[in-house]
Amino acid sequence: MGLTNPATEYRGADSGTTVTSVSPNWVTTRLDFLTNWARSNSLWPMPFGTACCAIEYMATAASRFDIARFGMERQSFSPRQADVLICAGRLPFKLAPVIRRIWDQMPQPKWSISMGACASTGGIFDNYSMVQGIDTIIPVDVYVPGCPPRPEGLIYGIRLLQKKIMGESIDNDMLREEHPVGPSGLFLPAERVDELSEPFGNSVSQTRST
Amino acid sequence: MTARAPVLSPSVTPLRAEFGAAITRHVVSCGDTIVHVDRERAHDVLAWLKDAPGQEFNYLTDITAVEYRDPERPLQVVWQLRSLGRKADLRVKVELDQAGPLEVRSVWDLWRGADWLEREVYDMFGIVFAGHPDLRRILMWETYAEGYPLRKNFPLRGHFSRSEQTRQALAANPEAHYSLEELSIAEAYQELPADMRARLARGERGFLK
Ligand code: SF4
Repeated sequence: MGLTNPATEYRGADSGTTVTSVSPNWVTTRLDFLTNWARSNSLWPMPFGTACCAIEYMATAASRFDIARFGMERQSFSPRQADVLICAGRLPFKLAPVIRRIWDQMPQPKWSISMGACASTGGIFDNYSMVQGIDTIIPVDVYVPGCPPRPEGLIYGIRLLQKKIMGESIDNDMLREEHPVGPSGLFLPAERVDELSEPFGNSVSQTRST
Repeated sequence: MTARAPVLSPSVTPLRAEFGAAITRHVVSCGDTIVHVDRERAHDVLAWLKDAPGQEFNYLTDITAVEYRDPERPLQVVWQLRSLGRKADLRVKVELDQAGPLEVRSVWDLWRGADWLEREVYDMFGIVFAGHPDLRRILMWETYAEGYPLRKNFPLRGHFSRSEQTRQALAANPEAHYSLEELSIAEAYQELPADMRARLARGERGFLK
């Protein structure tokens, strides 16, 4: 059975013929490419907006910048139907178990974007209450710098993620590995968390924790 | 903006007449009158200011506390009062010696709005409000073990290492921050999963693994 040419079909039963020679009825491609193409162009974001960056995220999603153009039509407010977690804003320690649980609830394949200086490094909040970068809580694929990043910046980050997805290989199981919180209570070694949270820039000269 | 004239609040004279030596001093600063009160009599003074005819400070704007850089200076607890009817403000302060017990009587029985304000001062400064019905942390989670963040002896980044802070934060149960009364889903209690019902019935809030 070939595909029928709808144009021919439309002309009616009397003159209609089934065309098999003209219409393209099969293609060859790499399965990797096809899967990645589908995945990268239908990313459903799980917006985790905690602060000012979320306003910029909303602008990115709204009509002027419109991330629906990149396949992110549906904002997924349920982690179970989401592909990419976008942490837009600073993450206090009190919210750390929440973002961790949301991340654990998201099914594979999943990715995450850390939007803004605070989500990526703690930003100006190098203090007792703030997580110094969400990469100490969950794995991060793309960091978007800025305070806040402009919508163009976030879109660039999303495009980078799409590019990263296009480079994935479906038989690489490591890419789909879960990184659960281990018996140590962390998902990274403790020294790594301390190292990632080291003060930098201006905050180096402020009182260090004892 | 024009600076307000340094006008003494008309409440000071009747206050001094009523409480005498319990009013330790008063100052006018930026147009606001600040009355310093003896710790033992603070609750009486505030109750009087709320109910006495001609005072009627029926709105508690804020409760906060101050610690100065100089370790010799006492901590202050500050009540900012407003009389909605008379359109008048008054600030009342109590000094708490650093060495003594950091404790004052709760004004929750006078203004219900004191509930969360006192919890916040307790959370940030460790000042105990005796008689508060539910004095527990409000901004930091309940198992927070590093101390009171707005005290001057509290390092900016906390006492613990970042990895320890992260570990403790991740060990908290995100659903266990609320008591049953606080959950708007209280009516739907029977429909909650069995384990959540058990947890709420135990009164469990946060825990460390
Ligand atoms: S990076 Fe800047 S804009 Fe974004 S949450 Fe932090 S302070 Fe707000």
